[in-house]
Amino acid sequence: MSISNYKVEFEKMLNRNYFSKSLHPYRKEAFTQLEKTGFPTQKWENWRFTNVSNISDGEFMISEISDAPQTTPDIDSYQMEGVDTVVIYNGHYQKDISSIPNGVNLLSGSEYMERKNGNFDRANNSPFDLLNTAFTDSGMCIVLEKNTLVKSPIRILFISNGDRSIMVNPRVNVDIGESSSLTFIEQHVGDATSFFQNESVFITLGDNAQLNHVRIQSNSEFTQNISNLNINQAADSQYEFFQLVDGSKLGRSDICVQLDGENAQCNINSLTLSKNNQHIDNNIIVNHNSAQTHSSQFVKSILFDTSTGVFNGRAVVHENAQKITAQQTNKNILLSKKAKMNANPQLEIYADDVKCSHGSTTGQIDEEALFYLQSRGINKQDAMELMVVGFANEVLDKIPHPEIKKAVYTEFTAKLNRLMS
Amino acid sequence: MIKIENLNVSIENKEILNGISLAVKPGELHVVMGRNGTGKSTLANILAGKEKYKVTGGSVNFVGKNLLEMSPEDRACAGLFLSFQYPVAIPGVNNMYFLKAAVNAVRKSRGEEEIDAVDFLSMIREKLKIVALDESFIHRPVNDGFSGGEKKRNEILQMIALEPKLSILDETDSGLDIDALKIVAQGVNDYRSPDRSFILITHYQRILNYMQPDFVHVLMNGRIVKSGTMELAKELEEKGYSWIEEEMVEIT
Repeated sequence: MSISNYKVEFEKMLNRNYFSKSLHPYRKEAFTQLEKTGFPTQKWENWRFTNVSNISDGEFMISEISDAPQTTPDIDSYQMEGVDTVVIYNGHYQKDISSIPNGVNLLSGSEYMERKNGNFDRANNSPFDLLNTAFTDSGMCIVLEKNTLVKSPIRILFISNGDRSIMVNPRVNVDIGESSSLTFIEQHVGDATSFFQNESVFITLGDNAQLNHVRIQSNSEFTQNISNLNINQAADSQYEFFQLVDGSKLGRSDICVQLDGENAQCNINSLTLSKNNQHIDNNIIVNHNSAQTHSSQFVKSILFDTSTGVFNGRAVVHENAQKITAQQTNKNILLSKKAKMNANPQLEIYADDVKCSHGSTTGQIDEEALFYLQSRGINKQDAMELMVVGFANEVLDKIPHPEIKKAVYTEFTAKLNRLMS
Repeated sequence: MIKIENLNVSIENKEILNGISLAVKPGELHVVMGRNGTGKSTLANILAGKEKYKVTGGSVNFVGKNLLEMSPEDRACAGLFLSFQYPVAIPGVNNMYFLKAAVNAVRKSRGEEEIDAVDFLSMIREKLKIVALDESFIHRPVNDGFSGGEKKRNEILQMIALEPKLSILDETDSGLDIDALKIVAQGVNDYRSPDRSFILITHYQRILNYMQPDFVHVLMNGRIVKSGTMELAKELEEKGYSWIEEEMVEIT
């Protein structure tokens, strides 16, 4: 639990003249707080099953100009039809190959702060939020004014490459004005061999706003990926989240939703495919702060080899949040005797007129179903793959956009196919 | 078609089938009746290749091959089909996708070309009519949320799509209302031909009002204790099984 490694990097950071000095007070405040709390240990309730010593003991350095690509990165293999893409390579914005759809305003961090009258969005759900505030280096603020319907999706493509132990702390703000709608994709790719990304995303949905948020974490299996997602929803807003995680050595998604306005609704869908000694942790909290708010969590994991996983899902229904509905479903399939899943679905209810359900199952391939498929002439290998794809399809089907669905499905089946053959 | 000789099967050291012998010729429909727990479903499952059973003696020859040495998928490809008593739901696997995978697996094993999506759809549309199911049905996940009758009709749909030589129908009539029963029976009757055989396992004589069996066998204590024709089924419906037990006591 040594912050000292990070202290050296922090001083370096403050001396970089290309970072706006206006953020320094926030950075310093966050770092001081982080020095007090330290990194989480497994004695912390929310971190019981996740060991972050690779991060806390690691010697990750901030990204230098030399970590930026020497030539324009080739993003052809990540093509998505009809999608505008913003590229960030090892923390460096690649303006030349980036584009944004009409109707979207892309602001820098300081421009965004100005827009918000000097307010700086912060969260303090975990030490990693603080770390991100202290080290924020790259990122984007995506702003939609009210009554703006943007049809073509916007993607931020995060590429992590190289062998140097670098750390990047992207910070993304997504601000959707009243009655506006957008599809936002964040895709994490690359073949870095020692890389730590600590990403914070702040999403604000105005009244009746709608956001589809697709998160694809498919970078190499050697990276440390922490993702801190904060979602604040006003009345009648709708948030559809879909996540596919099949990359990173340690992946942790902290998803915290505040359903602040009446009739706000969020649907959190996540699919994990892990192998070797990958460890993927999904920690989800949905706060029902208002009446008639609705949430669902639909989280599935497929675990191979000695990989491990965590599902920690909570729905908190606050006192005055009557007539809400909250659903939690967690299903895990273990394809190896040594794979391990820790599941903890929780409901915390302080209102009395609510409809909540939760459930979690972990098991192996259903032998009866396997025999059924084989008895129809399908060989065992294909039958198993058919069943695993079927298991995944229930989540993949929730992806709102056909082109994105196709891309995610292709990514998933290619990885699965390699694992099953 | 199939020749079962002195088949002995146990599960966890408990003997379930105790020397079954049964020969079915091409074109024949055999009915196997018997009380609960006499080994009827075990017989069906062992023929389809379910793993949890242990064969302790006897042999099964299917179209000239040693059936007991084959994997479930090879049996299916060789032309054996089991209509399950309890068809399994497979959430997330589209019925059409599954059917196409199955049909193509069987075709491939016969050295035939795989059927493409367009031809498959027109083929399956025809077969759907036979089992009186509408097209939306094949776009749903396999057996997931299907009613009892729909599941059984889906089994018959698979049978007529896979075109097996021998179909084993394990209580395909159980839990069906009279309309569904007629549809299932009609599906089987339409599929009958001089080179296709059937083993129908049932509790009730009811379905035999719509089908003409060649032979009726009574299974008791893991053995076939009596064989006859349609008349035997009628007698069982009237008198139950105890008279056979008494008859057996007299013999021994």
